[in-house]
Amino acid sequence: MFEVQPYVDWFKWDDSKHPLSNAPEPKRRFIPSKSESKLVNKIKLAIRKGLIKPKKPKEEEEEEESVYPLWGDDSNSAGKNDHLSYIPAPKPKLPGHEESFNPSLEYIPTQEEINSYQLMYEEDRPKFIPKRFTSMRSIPAYENAVKECFERCLDLYLCPRVRKKRLNIDPESLKPKLPNRNDLKPYPVSCYLEYRGHGDAVTSISVEASGQWIASGSLDGTVRIWGVETGRCLKHWKIGEAVKYVSWNPNPEHSILAVSTGQDVLLLNTGRGNEEVQKSTKELLSVEMPMPDDSGKTASSVSWLQDDQLEGIRLRHSKTVTSVEWHRKGDYLSTVMPADILFAHIYTYFYIIYYFKHDTDGFRAIFIHKLSKKFTQTLSFKLQGPAVTSVFHPTRSFFFISTKKIIRVYDLVKEGKLVKKLETALREISSIAVHPSGDHIIVGSGEGKLCWFDMDLSSKPYKTLKLHQKDINNVSFHRSYPLFATCSDDCTAYVFHGMVYSDLNQNPLIVPLEILRGHSSTNGRGVMDCKFHPRQPWLFTAGADSVVRLYCH
Amino acid sequence: MVKHKHYRPPGKKKEGNAARYITRSQAVKQLQVSLPLFRKLCILKGVFPREPKKKVKGNHHTYYHLKDVSFIQHEPLLERLREIRAYERKVKKADAKKNRDRANLLRQRRPTYRLDKIILQRYPNFIDALRDLDDCLTMVHLFAALPAIEERIEVKRIHNCRRLSHEWQAYISRTHKLRKVFVSVKGIYYQAEVKGQKVTWLTPHPLQQVLTEDIDFNIMLNFLEFYEALLAFVNCHLYRSINVKYPPILDPRLEALAADLYALSRYFDANSRSAVLDPQAPSLSGSGNVESQQIGDSVSESELRLAQLQHQLPSNEPGALMHLVKDVAGEEEEDDDTRECKKLFKDMKFFLNREVYRESLLFVIPAFGGTVSWEGDGAPFEENDESITHQIVDRPMHGRQTLARQYVQPQWVYDCINARIILPTGGYLAGRDPPPHLSPFVDNEAEGYVPDYAETIKQWKAAGRSEVLPLPGVGKEDLEDPQNLLAEGVIDRAKAKEAVEKKKKMMALEKQYHDELNKELHGVPHSSSVTNIDNHISGKETEDKEEFDDDSELAKLTLTRKKRGKLEAIEKGIKRKKDHIDVIRERKRKLRESQKSKEG
Repeated sequence: MFEVQPYVDWFKWDDSKHPLSNAPEPKRRFIPSKSESKLVNKIKLAIRKGLIKPKKPKEEEEEEESVYPLWGDDSNSAGKNDHLSYIPAPKPKLPGHEESFNPSLEYIPTQEEINSYQLMYEEDRPKFIPKRFTSMRSIPAYENAVKECFERCLDLYLCPRVRKKRLNIDPESLKPKLPNRNDLKPYPVSCYLEYRGHGDAVTSISVEASGQWIASGSLDGTVRIWGVETGRCLKHWKIGEAVKYVSWNPNPEHSILAVSTGQDVLLLNTGRGNEEVQKSTKELLSVEMPMPDDSGKTASSVSWLQDDQLEGIRLRHSKTVTSVEWHRKGDYLSTVMPADILFAHIYTYFYIIYYFKHDTDGFRAIFIHKLSKKFTQTLSFKLQGPAVTSVFHPTRSFFFISTKKIIRVYDLVKEGKLVKKLETALREISSIAVHPSGDHIIVGSGEGKLCWFDMDLSSKPYKTLKLHQKDINNVSFHRSYPLFATCSDDCTAYVFHGMVYSDLNQNPLIVPLEILRGHSSTNGRGVMDCKFHPRQPWLFTAGADSVVRLYCH
Repeated sequence: MVKHKHYRPPGKKKEGNAARYITRSQAVKQLQVSLPLFRKLCILKGVFPREPKKKVKGNHHTYYHLKDVSFIQHEPLLERLREIRAYERKVKKADAKKNRDRANLLRQRRPTYRLDKIILQRYPNFIDALRDLDDCLTMVHLFAALPAIEERIEVKRIHNCRRLSHEWQAYISRTHKLRKVFVSVKGIYYQAEVKGQKVTWLTPHPLQQVLTEDIDFNIMLNFLEFYEALLAFVNCHLYRSINVKYPPILDPRLEALAADLYALSRYFDANSRSAVLDPQAPSLSGSGNVESQQIGDSVSESELRLAQLQHQLPSNEPGALMHLVKDVAGEEEEDDDTRECKKLFKDMKFFLNREVYRESLLFVIPAFGGTVSWEGDGAPFEENDESITHQIVDRPMHGRQTLARQYVQPQWVYDCINARIILPTGGYLAGRDPPPHLSPFVDNEAEGYVPDYAETIKQWKAAGRSEVLPLPGVGKEDLEDPQNLLAEGVIDRAKAKEAVEKKKKMMALEKQYHDELNKELHGVPHSSSVTNIDNHISGKETEDKEEFDDDSELAKLTLTRKKRGKLEAIEKGIKRKKDHIDVIRERKRKLRESQKSKEG
C-alpha cells in the first residue's frame, strides 16, 4: 500500500564542519505504527464482514448481463394487469409517394409553387418538399434524421395520451334514410311560366280559391290579376302606394281581394266570376256612410270608407298594415300592424330621460273586421312585443298570433282565451303557416330556420331545420297535397314533403324534395312570397326581381 | 369569506379529477427525485402524461395519473437509482479529496440495474413487445449509424446497437419475413411481418449523420437504454423460436479477427434446425480464406453481413436436397406470403458493384431468396462468375459488358420486392433514368390517384398471374398498342379489351385536348375545369353530378346540428384530399403538355 522509494543521500558529508544532529534515534522509529495497524484492522474487519468484496473478474460481470428468454414459450401466460390501461403511442405516419428519392415527376412542385409556400403561414407550409435523385448513389444524408428521432422521443414521453375514437364513418351513413324523392311525386320541379309586368319587386301573391287566377301586389303600387294558365294580366289597379300584402277571399261566392298598402286595407272587386257572384260582391262592397260605430275604441283607429275610384272599400288604420288574412268563410278579416317602430315617449325632467314602450301597441296591433256588418273589433291580447303575423285556424275557432319569438294561440269563441303558447327558440319569426288539418304549424324565421310544431305534441318545435343562408320570407302549406314550401332572400324556394299521419303515435315525415332556383337578387331581396295552387301541386313564387313564377311538376 | 373556485370544506376528501390527476411538479415532489431522474423513470417505465377531462390546475400543466406516479414509487429501480446517485457522490468526494485509491476501488464496484422485470411488466406478452417495436428498431438502427461522440455516446453502445440490429436483420432475412422496402429521402423503410404484426422501421442512409446542438442526448440515451434491452430480449425470443441459442457463443478465432458477426452467423447456422448437413462448406472455406486477409479495422461489416446471410439460406443453395425436404416439412407453418417472398429471387445470382449501397441489398436480396456477392474482399463468387444473372450498378456504364447478365440499378431490386414480381429490366438498365420509385405503403385507390407506373406494374402483375411472364424489355411503349401485346401472347383477351378501351379514352382525351387548343387559337375562352376530363367526355355526366349534388344537399337539411358538423368535417377532409390530388393532376397535365410541345 505504501510504496517506499529507495533512499537517495543528497547530503554532502565531507565538507561539513559540524554534525547536523547527534541525537540518538527515537523509539518510534523502531516500533510499528499504531495508526497503520488500526487501518489494517479496519480493512481486515470489513473483509471478514463481507463489506469489501474481492474484485470480480470481468467476464463474470458480463455473464450476469446476459439475456434470457423473458417471455415463456406460450406467450399468453401472463396474468391480468391490474394497472391502468396502457395507451400505445400512435405510430409515425408511413411515407407516401412524394417522399421517395425518385418520385413521379408530378409530385415535385414547380419553382413557383415552392416560392408560393413562403407566403403561407408557417403551420400550413409543407414540411417536406419532394426532390428527385436520378440514382441511389446521389442521395445525400438526411439532415434531420437525428432531430426527427429526438422529436419522436419527446412525443413519446411528453405528450399527454388519451384514447380517442377515430371518426371513421361513411358520410352517407350520417344522412338519414329518407324515402326516394321519385316516390313522393308529384311536386313542383321546374319553372313553367313567368308572369312579367310589374315594375318593381313583387311583395305578395294570392291564389283564387278555384285556382284560376292569381293576384300579385308590388312595390310599384300596382295590383295585378293574372290568368294562371295563360299568363296574361287580366286586370290591374294603380293604387299609388307600395302594396304590402294581397289576399284573395276564400269564399267562392264573392270575388274580393284584400290589399294592404301603407295604412290602408283595400277590399277590391276583382270582377271575376259570373253575374251572381258579381252581384253579391257589389252588394258587400258598398258602404252607405262612414258609419259612426257604437264602440268608441274601434272607431278611433279604423274607419270604413267607400273608395269610388277603385270601386271598393278602404279601411283606414292608424298605423302601417303588413298582413291581411281572411277567415276560411270569407267574412272575417284580420289585419296586423306590427309596431316595428318603437314608440318611445321621452320625458325630460331634471335631466333624467325615460324610455318606455307604448303600452297599447300590443293591444291595438290586431284587428278583426267583419265584412258583412262593416264592423271592426280590436282584440285585447297581451303580447310581449310587436305582433308579426296572424292566421286563422282552418277548422276551429282558434287564432294564431306570432310575435318575434313566441306564437300564441287564442280561442276566439271563448273571448280570446289563451289556449297555447308555442316557444320557437327562434330569433325573428317572419311567417307562419297552418297545416290544413290545423294540428301542425310551420314557422319561418329571419335566420333561415324552419320550425315544425306538432300542436298535440308539445309547445316546443318537433323539428327545427336550418335551411336558408338568408331570411325566410314566407312559408306555405298545400291545401290537399302533403307539401309545404319556404322561400327566402337567398333566391331559392325549398319544397318539402310533409306527411301528417292520422295515427297520433307516428311522427310527421319531413322530406326535402327540391330546391327551386330561378329568381335573381335585387337590393338584397330574393323570393318574397310563395303560394301553392289550391288543387295542383304547383307553386307560385314572387321575386324581388319583379317576376312571378309558376313551378309545375 | 370568499369561497374558492374549488372550495372543499375541511375534512372532506378530494374527489374526481382533482384527486386522480396531479401535475408533473407535484409528482416530482411526491417521488422526491430530481426532474431528470423523474424523466428517466418515466421513459423506462413507459409512464406518460394523461389528459384529464377537467384540468383542475389549469391548462398549461401536464397531468400524470396518481396511479402512474405510485407505480413509479413502488418500483425497485427508484431505490437503485438513488443508490447510484449516492455512489456517484462518493466517487466525487473521493476524487475531491485526492483519495485515488478509494476512488478506484469505488469505480470498480459501480452499482448496476437490469431492466428485464420492467420489460416484462410493460409487455406481459411477446406480441405486445412486437407491437411497440417500431420506435425501438428505428432508434437502434439510427444509433448504429451514428459516430461515437466523446462524453456523450460511448463506442460500446454503438457497437451494441450495431450488433443488435444485425441480429434482428439476420432473423428477418433468414425467416423471409420482410415484406416491403421503400427508399425515401429520409432513409430506407423496411416493413416485416413477424407473428402477424407489421413492424416498420427506418434505417438512415449510410452516410455521416448531422448532429445538431439542439438535441438533448440524455433523453435519447435513456430511450436507447431501454430499447437496447428490449431488442436483446426480443431477439432472444425470436432466435429461440427457431431453435437457435441466443447469446451466441462466438468462435474465438473469428472474434480475434474482429469478425464477430461472421462468427455469429456460423453459430447461427450450426444451431439452426436445418443444420444437419453443411452445404456451405465450400463457400465457408472460401470466405475463411478471405477472413485472413481482412485483419484490422478495414473489415467491412457489410461483407460480414453477407456471409452471415449467405449461411442463413440453405434452402436456396442448389443441390441441398436434404434441406429442401426439411424445409417442406417446415413450410406448413409458413403462410402464403412468406412462401411467395421466399421464391421471388429464387435461382438468381446477384453481383453488387463497388459503388452500390451494400448493406441494404445484402439484407434484402437473401430475404427474398436470392444469392448475392459483391466486389471486394470476402466475396463468395467473383465478378467473372458465369452464373451471375444480374449485376447491380449505380453509375453510368463504361467498361465491357457481359451479355449473359443484366446490368440494372439497385432500384430495380426494391421495385421488384414491392411489386412481388420480377419486373422487366428495360427501364432500370445502368445509365438510364429509372422509372419512379413508388411507396408501397400507399393505397392508391383509396388515395384517389394512381401514378402511371403503378398502373403499369399492376398490368404486369396481372400478366404474371396468368403464368406468362412478360419478356424483359416490354416497356410502357408496348402497352400502348394492345394488338402488339396480344400477338406476343403476353396478355389475355380481357386485358386486351381493357387496353383498347384505355387507348380509346386516351384518344378521346387527346382529341378533346386538340379541340381545346383549336378553340384557344380562335380566341374562344378556355373552359373552366380542364382537369375534370371525365365530365367533358359526356355532358350527361355533369348533369348527373349536379343532380347528385342537389340530392346530397337536400339530405343534409334534415340532419341535426351535431351530425351536420360531423358530416361537414368529413367532407372538409375529403375535399382537402381531393384538392391535393387535383394539384398533382394539374402538374401532370402541364408536364404532358410541355413534353408534347417539345416533341412537336
